[in-house]
Amino acid sequence: MNLSELKTPAELEDLYQPVMAQIKEVKRLSAMETYYRVELPGGEELGHVPGQFVELSIFGVGEAPFSVSSSPTLKGSFELGVRRAGMLTDVLLRQQPGTKIGIRGPFGNGIDVEKFKGKDVLIVAGGIGLVPMRSMINYVIDNRDQFGKLIICYGSKTDQDLLFTDELSRWEKDPSIDYRVTVDQGSGSWQGNTGVITTLIPGLDLDLPNTVCCICGPPVMYRFVLLSLKSKGLADENIYMSLERRMKCGVGKCGHCQINHSYVCQDGPVYHYPDIKSLQEAL
Amino acid sequence: MVQFYLEDERITEFVAHLMNRHPVYAPHRKGEKSFSFERTENAADVVLDYPRTMHSVKKFFLPPREELLSFDLEENDFQTADIPTSAAVFLGVHSYDLAAVGRLDYNFTVGSPERNYLTRRQDAVFIGVSFEPDAYHFSGSVGIRPEDSTGCDIFLTRLFDGYVLEVLTPKGQELLEGLDLPAHDAGKPVTGHFQQHIFVPQAKLGEIMERSYDNAVWEETAEKCVGCGTCNLVCPTCYCFNVEENVDITVTKGSRERHWDGCMLRKFSEVAGGEVFRESLASRQRHRVFRKFKYISDQTGQPWCVGCGRCTAYCTAGISIVSIVNRLIGDYERAAVAPV
Repeated sequence: MNLSELKTPAELEDLYQPVMAQIKEVKRLSAMETYYRVELPGGEELGHVPGQFVELSIFGVGEAPFSVSSSPTLKGSFELGVRRAGMLTDVLLRQQPGTKIGIRGPFGNGIDVEKFKGKDVLIVAGGIGLVPMRSMINYVIDNRDQFGKLIICYGSKTDQDLLFTDELSRWEKDPSIDYRVTVDQGSGSWQGNTGVITTLIPGLDLDLPNTVCCICGPPVMYRFVLLSLKSKGLADENIYMSLERRMKCGVGKCGHCQINHSYVCQDGPVYHYPDIKSLQEAL
Repeated sequence: MVQFYLEDERITEFVAHLMNRHPVYAPHRKGEKSFSFERTENAADVVLDYPRTMHSVKKFFLPPREELLSFDLEENDFQTADIPTSAAVFLGVHSYDLAAVGRLDYNFTVGSPERNYLTRRQDAVFIGVSFEPDAYHFSGSVGIRPEDSTGCDIFLTRLFDGYVLEVLTPKGQELLEGLDLPAHDAGKPVTGHFQQHIFVPQAKLGEIMERSYDNAVWEETAEKCVGCGTCNLVCPTCYCFNVEENVDITVTKGSRERHWDGCMLRKFSEVAGGEVFRESLASRQRHRVFRKFKYISDQTGQPWCVGCGRCTAYCTAGISIVSIVNRLIGDYERAAVAPV
């Protein structure tokens, strides 16, 4: 490596410098999850693709990665769906519209939407995995003529934990969407499916060679969803997945998000399944 | 190449000459057996004949703690950190530590080049010195000889009563201006022999690591390992870090700092909600060794271990990376000759 071939360090971008973005809207999604709409200075576009993430920080509290939940087709601001899981998200929960927060990104390898165009799109989302997948779902909905069927399988612990319920009812009513939902445990009023997310897969009507799938959910979910999709006959080449790790710096330096040799913040969080099938630490 | 003779009696004069031009960082004696790279205030403090320092010169380019930005909580605003350049002479650096700086240069330029590291690193001048391998050095097994002067501006090779001083770059030439040293016309002595070896050609290590994912050595090593992360902290090529906020006692201002982190620590791979992706010590040991001999090496063709011996010398549980790697090699070779 010859350092003299580089730009002088003073000309390099400061990788760790956030921009001060503004929270425009806050809504409770469930007991644990909250929705935020965030605007960059001057209404600048985030410029993300579905599946990418940002590093959000509050001074004095900390910085952490969060998936972007809105589709790139939403202009002027972007959306996050945040689960309460620690100090940063606790403090974030107390913020009102107007508050300024630090944003870096977007980072990572998102969904290559070109690979999904002209195909039937199958989304398998478990729990908070719906947050990043919603970016792709709304992208497909907003570019309906560029994609085939849209099939959504969504699983949640209970019906109280279902996120974005207004949108879920719209998807359910939309004749161009095959929307299926199940909960591990329903409350008394729950009329829908009960059972883990894999129970939704056998009943799917898939045009196998023409279906491309993206999976996102808790770590335990991937193995079982993959088995179900395999027995359904879906080829590995048609499967993508978004993985969670601790993407602390977002720029391939800090080391926390490594899966074997792969940095999730660089090669992921969205991976083509054949690329990580042989990585023992991936699933 | 220009060679001079620097006799032992003139070393202090040589250091003082350097100090007149630039700040000098060199090994100083810290205890009976411990040495540390420090800013030299007194030329006589420099020790050129030393086995190893606990930390390499990495600490000057990737400091153990570094401010990334400072913030004002009342204004909810921040200022980026002012990163100083290191227009300094690093004197008495061993070849493996210079090789490690080369590895870090790669890590901090690949993908997104990092301003912080590169700013601190850019103006460094290196004066290397040969070393006598002790019971822990094995850099010869990863292609780094004690007399290897790669990356140096000046290199010193130990003689009986002084050093052969070689000028390797114009920067090195400049440093010597005004210092009158006699030329050295004779050859250089052969440096010492290693007592520790990895018994395999480097080219084969990749294949051996490939087959070693499920080797029993990881569990056996985990039996002894206490997960303290010392091996990560003393490694000259470990560069992982964590970032945290520090708030002033007045709760009106503070800073975002990064500090060294290590993959041997349990929390390293923990995500929100408590999932730890490398829960067992065995999986962490494997990750550490694979980071040195497989993952980056597969991409660059170079081992990311430079054979300094620190992780073994300072391990609180007596774990030897040489023994681990030799065990993997032995098991691989036994499997290769075993009847099918």
